[in-house]
Amino acid sequence: MERLESLKKEIYRCIHCGACRFAYSGEPDKEGIGEHEGKLYEGIMINCPAGDLHGWEGFYNSGKMWMARAVLEGELEPDEDIVDILFACTTCGNCEVQCENKIPTVDVIEALRAAVVEKGVPLGAKTVRLSRTVKEKNNPYDEPHEERTSWFKGEKNLDVKTAYFVGCTASYRIKNVAEATERLFRKLGEPLAILPEEVCCGSPLIRTGQMEEATRVMKQNLETFKKFDTVVFSCAGCYRTIRVDYPKLTGEELPFKPMHTLEYVADLMKKGKLKIEKEFPKKVTWHDPCHLTRHVADDIERRRLNESKNWFMDTRAIEKEKEEWYELPRYVLSQIPGVDFREMYRIKENTWCCGAGGGVKTQYKDLAMHAVFERIKEAEATGAEALITSCPFCWLNFRDGIRESGSKLELYELIELLDQLVD
Amino acid sequence: MSYNPVTKDVVEALRSIVGKEYVNDKVPMRYAYVSKGIMGLESIPAEVIVRPRHVEEIRKILVLANENRIPVTPVAGGLSGGFASPLISPSGILLDCSRMDRIIEVDTDSRYMVVEPGVRSGTVWAYFRKHYPDWAPPVPDGAPPAATVLGDALERGFSMVTGRYGPQADMILGLEVVVPTGDIIYTGSWALPGAKPFYKWGPGPDLGGLFLGAQGTMGVVTKAAVKIVPHPHYKTVVAYGMDNPYDMQEATLEVSKREIGIADHCVMVQGGNWPLVMTRWPKDRVPTDYEFYKKLGISEWWMNFEIWAHSQEELDFVVKRIDEIMKDYEAKTGHKLPQWKLHPKQIASRLKKPNKIAIPYSLWEAGFLFITWYTPWKDCAEFAEIYNEKLVEYGFPPVMWIASIDHCRQAICMPIVCFDSTDPRSIERVQELNRETTEIFLDKGWVEYRPDPYVHAPLMYSKAKTYHEYLKKIRALWDPNYIMHPGRLGIP
Repeated sequence: MERLESLKKEIYRCIHCGACRFAYSGEPDKEGIGEHEGKLYEGIMINCPAGDLHGWEGFYNSGKMWMARAVLEGELEPDEDIVDILFACTTCGNCEVQCENKIPTVDVIEALRAAVVEKGVPLGAKTVRLSRTVKEKNNPYDEPHEERTSWFKGEKNLDVKTAYFVGCTASYRIKNVAEATERLFRKLGEPLAILPEEVCCGSPLIRTGQMEEATRVMKQNLETFKKFDTVVFSCAGCYRTIRVDYPKLTGEELPFKPMHTLEYVADLMKKGKLKIEKEFPKKVTWHDPCHLTRHVADDIERRRLNESKNWFMDTRAIEKEKEEWYELPRYVLSQIPGVDFREMYRIKENTWCCGAGGGVKTQYKDLAMHAVFERIKEAEATGAEALITSCPFCWLNFRDGIRESGSKLELYELIELLDQLVD
Repeated sequence: MSYNPVTKDVVEALRSIVGKEYVNDKVPMRYAYVSKGIMGLESIPAEVIVRPRHVEEIRKILVLANENRIPVTPVAGGLSGGFASPLISPSGILLDCSRMDRIIEVDTDSRYMVVEPGVRSGTVWAYFRKHYPDWAPPVPDGAPPAATVLGDALERGFSMVTGRYGPQADMILGLEVVVPTGDIIYTGSWALPGAKPFYKWGPGPDLGGLFLGAQGTMGVVTKAAVKIVPHPHYKTVVAYGMDNPYDMQEATLEVSKREIGIADHCVMVQGGNWPLVMTRWPKDRVPTDYEFYKKLGISEWWMNFEIWAHSQEELDFVVKRIDEIMKDYEAKTGHKLPQWKLHPKQIASRLKKPNKIAIPYSLWEAGFLFITWYTPWKDCAEFAEIYNEKLVEYGFPPVMWIASIDHCRQAICMPIVCFDSTDPRSIERVQELNRETTEIFLDKGWVEYRPDPYVHAPLMYSKAKTYHEYLKKIRALWDPNYIMHPGRLGIP
């Protein structure tokens, strides 16, 4: 409850205006990509996967803000009835960026989830299992910790200044992303330290309010990686967690510089140190992973606003900085010869979530599939042959969604693609 | 009146009417629908929420509720602050009409659209942009995109063409209303079976007005025929600054009286004072001295004229005439009315509809209320002066927004009370401010836009006793047990 209490002033800003359920909630005249399969991709569009699926107010963010308020006022005692409303949310953060009153909605939802956990309310079995397996095996996939770096046959614990935080999904489920990242950096002349002591970043636990175990893994990771200048990430979720959540939870800045691989690659490209010669002659669209794009841009904004004495004057510069962040993957794609790039309609801060985050893929498969089918349709509407993203968790959900929907889209992880294109 | 709580049997009966997936009596979900802000501070959760899709479902629900003497509160978008939620206990059934979201008909010859209550401004705007780009649905100006066309109309609110066409209620040509007796009432020409909703007054005296401004106390409106208006694509906004509200009032009236050929093009005429800009930010993160805003070119008061025209020539003519009228006013009075040179981005921003312009006032502290009144246009400056003095007296920033209704026949005056909803003392001050100003304004003959049930309605009806008595009698004709949103307007 302490976390929720600390957000009281922000929670009470909600006037139930409902803007949080839309993409482009302030841009009714926005040009789009027209109509596809009966859906109009123009102007304002619903952009809350849970609300879109269920329709009830409680599944939209605005309903959650008022549930949080009722909990704070002691009118609503969290019980089992709240679980399937509160936890069936991908915490994608669309609501947060649409909110004109700048309510940190993801923080509120996570704090409310934590309050529910604190009260001892039983969660969904699969959600609980996340915490148990992280506690026992340092990963949510119930895999042996000793095999975390089994994908890597080279020398571990290299004495270098840059380490690679691999993450559980790339370590156990999509090992090709881990291999590609390590290999790409070696080719770029920047061998990465791979650390067997790495444990789950805690993202699935923080998202689902299971803070005790999240705090343990956070401390362990900070201890493990503190000796490095830079830590690179291929996983959007791990990157968001360590870049955004760790400083919030510890109250201290990180002892290293966190960089997503795309940042690193883009830097090299901008400095002329990396030029891709091989062609990728395809019609391509890009999915912005919430954790990599919207959540980080939002964190940029919050940090700058916290420093600002005059929001009125500083807002424009902050918007520019956020836009630069959103452009990063687009810049990288623009440097690949042959790419015929097609934007989806809901992009950048207005991106539609893939449906995997917030513990949803684990516990609420119907919602995860609803969201990913919607996104696949939007990707198809662009006429693209290939869908590219850079988040193992998004990738997994897209893989499942493409299989189940029978879509013809080819799916790529951007790091893996870059590895293939760089000699 | 006495009411009964919602029993398990009633919940089961509701499920049999709309399907079990559209009935929810879980406590957290009931709280998700609560709201205390924008329009009111009081709200309690419903006992059960039902999401019907069809008129027949609503008819059956009302008959069931009437038989069991259970209160029913309908909401369209449900965004109108606390008063969209039930206010009395037992709070009964909340009828969430958001699933009824069809745009049923658009007739560009008779110039109306037929919409269900859940049709949201953002949706209908996109629909017209795609399919009828030369016509505009009168979506509310300043209300968020999730607001509904019908919610705004039933509230007798204002639209983006209010300056030209009058309050939103004037845009209604016909209603389909379900009442607790199980009857379905049609208003306007719709009352004649087979007729189009082309004529708002209907066969003989019209019942339509009884459902507008009723805030859900008279029945459930399930369809409305709403006027659509031409949407010419030559647009601009011109703005003039003043150093007091009286010049704003008088100069704007000079323009608006010239209806044909000039003011008819001014679809939205709205203005306010400089704290409107300041209070969109947290009070400890923005300069609070007017000098800062003055340097940015923001006048103490200003008025925007949003102009629509069919050609550049027509647009230029109206802009020129407004400027001439302003200069004439300056010459006559010796008072300065500098034109505010708007950047093209500022103009584009002001032309966006629907928009989020009225939303961020919670940032100032943690909550805000619009306590809105209608006055004759010639009284709006006095209103602003009194209200702003009272706002300061009660410890709130003096934030005032004013718009012309129907060529300045009336003014809609909307003080924005920025307060701290986490602080009970702040809430008490809002309530005291509201009571004191209501007493003053009713004595002056001004009308509350959306009377609240604790201050506005009782004080208002204490001065209009006969009117109040007839409202109750009329209501009893189709709501004998007074189940519709009871307590809301004191009828009863």
